[in-house]
Amino acid sequence: MRPSPQASDTAVTASRPAPDTVGEPAGAPLDGPAEHTGAASVLTVPVVQLLGIGKRFGAVRACDDVSLRVRAGEIHGLLGENGAGKSTLMKILLGLVVPDTGRIVLRGSETTIADPSAAAAHGISMVHQHFSLVDRLSVWENVVLGDRGRVDRDRARKSVREVGDRYGLRVDPDACVEDLSTGERQRVEIVKCLRRDPGVLILDEPTSVLTLEESRELFTVLRRVVADEGKAVILISHKLDEIVHATDRVTIMRQGRVVARRATADTDVRALAREMVGRELSKWTAASAVGALDALIEPGTGEPTGGTAVLDVREPEAAPAPKPRPAAGEVRLRITDAHARAADRRPLLRGLSLEVRAGEILGIAGVEGNGQAALGDLLSSLLPLDAGRVEVCGGAVAAGRPGAMHAAGVGVVPEDRHVSGCVLDMSVAENLMMADLSSVTSRGLLSRRRMAERARRLIEEFEIATPSPDTPMRQLSGGNQQKVVLARELAGRPQVLVAAQPTRGLDIGAIEYMTERLHAAAREGIAVLLLSTELGEILTLSHRVAVIHRGAVVGEMDRADVDTERLGLMMGGQAA
Amino acid sequence: MIDDLAMVLGSSVRLTVPLAFAACGEYIAERAGTINISVEAMMLGGAFNAVWGASMTGSASFGLLFGMLAGLVIGFVHAEFSHRLSVNTYVVGLALNALVLGLTSFLLDSIDLTGHQVDALNIPVLSDLPLLGPVLFAHRWPAYLLVALIPLVWWLVQRSRFGLELRAAGENPQSADVTGIDVRRRRRQSVLLCGVLAGLGGAYLAVGEVGAFNQNMTAGRGFVVIAAVIFGGWTLRGTMAGCLVFGAADAMRLALPALGVHLNSQLLIAAPYLLALLAMMFLAKTHRQPAALGAPFVRGIV
Repeated sequence: MRPSPQASDTAVTASRPAPDTVGEPAGAPLDGPAEHTGAASVLTVPVVQLLGIGKRFGAVRACDDVSLRVRAGEIHGLLGENGAGKSTLMKILLGLVVPDTGRIVLRGSETTIADPSAAAAHGISMVHQHFSLVDRLSVWENVVLGDRGRVDRDRARKSVREVGDRYGLRVDPDACVEDLSTGERQRVEIVKCLRRDPGVLILDEPTSVLTLEESRELFTVLRRVVADEGKAVILISHKLDEIVHATDRVTIMRQGRVVARRATADTDVRALAREMVGRELSKWTAASAVGALDALIEPGTGEPTGGTAVLDVREPEAAPAPKPRPAAGEVRLRITDAHARAADRRPLLRGLSLEVRAGEILGIAGVEGNGQAALGDLLSSLLPLDAGRVEVCGGAVAAGRPGAMHAAGVGVVPEDRHVSGCVLDMSVAENLMMADLSSVTSRGLLSRRRMAERARRLIEEFEIATPSPDTPMRQLSGGNQQKVVLARELAGRPQVLVAAQPTRGLDIGAIEYMTERLHAAAREGIAVLLLSTELGEILTLSHRVAVIHRGAVVGEMDRADVDTERLGLMMGGQAA
Repeated sequence: MIDDLAMVLGSSVRLTVPLAFAACGEYIAERAGTINISVEAMMLGGAFNAVWGASMTGSASFGLLFGMLAGLVIGFVHAEFSHRLSVNTYVVGLALNALVLGLTSFLLDSIDLTGHQVDALNIPVLSDLPLLGPVLFAHRWPAYLLVALIPLVWWLVQRSRFGLELRAAGENPQSADVTGIDVRRRRRQSVLLCGVLAGLGGAYLAVGEVGAFNQNMTAGRGFVVIAAVIFGGWTLRGTMAGCLVFGAADAMRLALPALGVHLNSQLLIAAPYLLALLAMMFLAKTHRQPAALGAPFVRGIV
C-alpha cells in the first residue's frame, strides 16, 4: 500500500525533533551526524536560516511554514517537483518576493531583504535558470551590471579573467553574450556571481541546459568553491542523481512544505524519489522523475554513494520501460535533408532527416536549442524550408504554408501550451473545437449546441477536470490545460502526432496520464514524434531514440540499445 | 552657384540643429526601451514656452531654459503615466501630443507674445572660410552646444554606469531587474532627459531660428526625430546622420522655389516625411532595435 502524504509527513516529523518550529534554537541538530566537510562546520552558526516562511499567491500556498538552514562549506540540495515551492523560497531569499510570514536570519542576525541589491550586500548571489544576462551587452558589461559607482572597463575585464582563472571558468570578457553557447553563458553567470565574492551561491536548475560534460565541469567548480573557500552553495533541482552526486545535505519540499531533511550520504535515489513525490512511483514515471544524468559520475571517480545509488535506478526502473514494438507500420512522416534559417539568417535546421512509422514513438533527444523548436515549428506549418522536403503518408506537404501540415494529418501538442497551445481567455469548449470547426459549423455559423455536445464528449473521454465546457481555460490546472490540447489534437484523428515537451511543468499524476495517452495513441497506429529535453522522458516513452545536434539528426538507436554514455556524447556533439 | 550651394547647405544645418537636440533625447529614451512619441509634444511645448519665457524676461537665452522646463514637465507626465501607472505609452503619447497642440494654439491667442531671438555667433576666422564658413561657423550660439552635447550623450549611454543600466533596461528588463536595477526608474529618468533635450530642440527652433511662435510650428518634426533614430539603427552616429538627411530634405523644400524649381508646394512639405517613410522601409528590417523597445515592464512575472 502506498503511504498517503499525511502519513509520510508524520513519519518524517517523528524522526527528528520539531522540524519546522519557528522558535527552534539556531543550529539545532536537524539530521544525522554524517558530514562531508568535517567537524568544524557542524559547530558554526548556519550562514542562512529561513524560519517559518509562508507565502501565498492568491489561493495558492507557494510556501507554508518552510524552514531551511544552510551552513558554510556545504552544498545544500533543495529538491522538489515543479511547483513544490523551491523557486519561491529562493526568490524570497533573494529579495524578489516578499514573504507573508517568517524570519530570515543571516549569520545569526535577523534581517529583512527588500530587493536583489540588498541580498547582494548580504553576500547572497544567484545563478538564474533564465533571464539574467543581457544578450546585447558584452561579457564584462554583464558582469558589472548591478554594481555601484563608476564603470571601469579595464578593471572589469581583468577581474573577469582573474575569477575565470581561479575557478577554471574561462570566458572572453569582450565577447558579446548573444554569441555564446548556453554552457558559456552559464559560465558568465557564475563568474558574475563569484566576482562579488558571495558567502552564499544559489543555483537554480543549473544543468537543465547543459550537456553531460558541461554539467560535470560545473559540479567540479562548485566543489572547489565550497571546499577551498568555505562558501555555501544551494543547489535547486528536481533531478535526483544530481542531488545525490553533488550535495552534502538535502532539504526536500513538496507542495510548499518541507517534508524531509537528509544527509546525502545517508540516503539514496529511491528514498529521495519517494519523499519528493510522496508515494511510490510507477515504473514509467520513475525514470522521468529521476532524470537520466547517471552518466554524470565519471567512471572510477565520484562518490561511491552516488555511483551505486544511481545504478540502482537505472537497472530496475528505467530499463524495463516500453517494450520495443514489433517494427511494423508504414512510414507516416518522412523529413528529408531539411534546411531552414531563422529571420535573422541564423541556421536552425542543417540537413535534418528522420522517419516516423505508424505505431511507434520516436523520441528526439538533445540539449535545448539544437533545433527541437524549429522541428516543432516546421510540423506546425510555421517554418518554411530553404531546402529539403516533408512527406506525410507518402505525399509531399508544402512547408510553411499555413494549415498545410494540419490538413495533411499532423497533430501538434506544442511546447508552450500558454503561448501556442490554447487561448487562455476562451472557454474549454472553444479551445477544444479550435483546430477543426467544420464539424460544428453549418453555412458559416457556429452551432453552439453541437459544440457543447462534442466538447462534453471529449471532456468525458479525456477525463478533463473542468466545472463546465464554458469555463475559461485560464481557470484549469496546467495538467488539465494540457489534456484539452491533447484531446483537441487527437480528436482530429491525426496520422502523425507531434508532442513537444508534453509533460513540462506538470505534476506527477498528469505526467502519468500523458505518458499513458501517448502510448495509447501509438497503439492505435498513430506515428508519434516526441520532442523533449528531459532524457528521462525520452527513455521512458520512446521505442526509438534519435539524437539532434545543431539542427541535424546525428544518430539513431532502438530504445533497447540505448547506452546513456554514448547518448550523452552524441547530444554534446561528439561522434560516437 | 557656390552661393546657392552655401545657402542650401547652411539652411540644412540650421534645420538639422533642432532635430539633433531632440534626437539626442529620443535616442536615450529608446535605448532605455521607450518609444517616446510625445517628443513632438515636448518640442512644441518647448517652442511655445521658450517664446513665452523670452517675452516675460526679455531675454531669448532665458527662453531656452523655459523651453527645457516645458519639455521636462511633459516628460514627467509621460514618465509617471507610462512607467509608474503602467498606462499604455502610445496612448499617453498621443494624448499629450493632442493636448499640447491644443493648449499652445489656445494660449497663442490669449497671450501677447513678443519676438525674441538669441544672438548669432560667428566663429572668428573660421566663419570667413569659403563655403564651410557660412555653413558650419555662422549660427546662433546655442547650436554650438551640440559640439559638446553629442559626445556627452554618447559617453552617458555607452560608458557610464547610468547608461549601462539604461541599455540593460531596454534590452532585457527582466534580467536587469533580477540584477538589482530599478528598471522603471531608469526608464522614467531617460524620458525626463528626453524631455529636457527635446524641449531645448523646440526652444531653439522658436527663439533660435525663427524668433517667434506660430501655431503647430514643429509640424511633426518630433516624428521625424523618431524616424531619425530608427534610420540610425539606434546608434548615436546614425541618428545624427538621420537628422542631417531629414534636415537637408527640409532645406531643399525651402530652397527649390528660390532656385527656380517649381514643384507643388504641398508635395514639397510632404517630402521629408516621405523620405522618412522610405528610409524606414529599407532600414527598419536590417537594423536591430533594443530587444524590449516599446514593451512595458511589470515586475515579478518571471
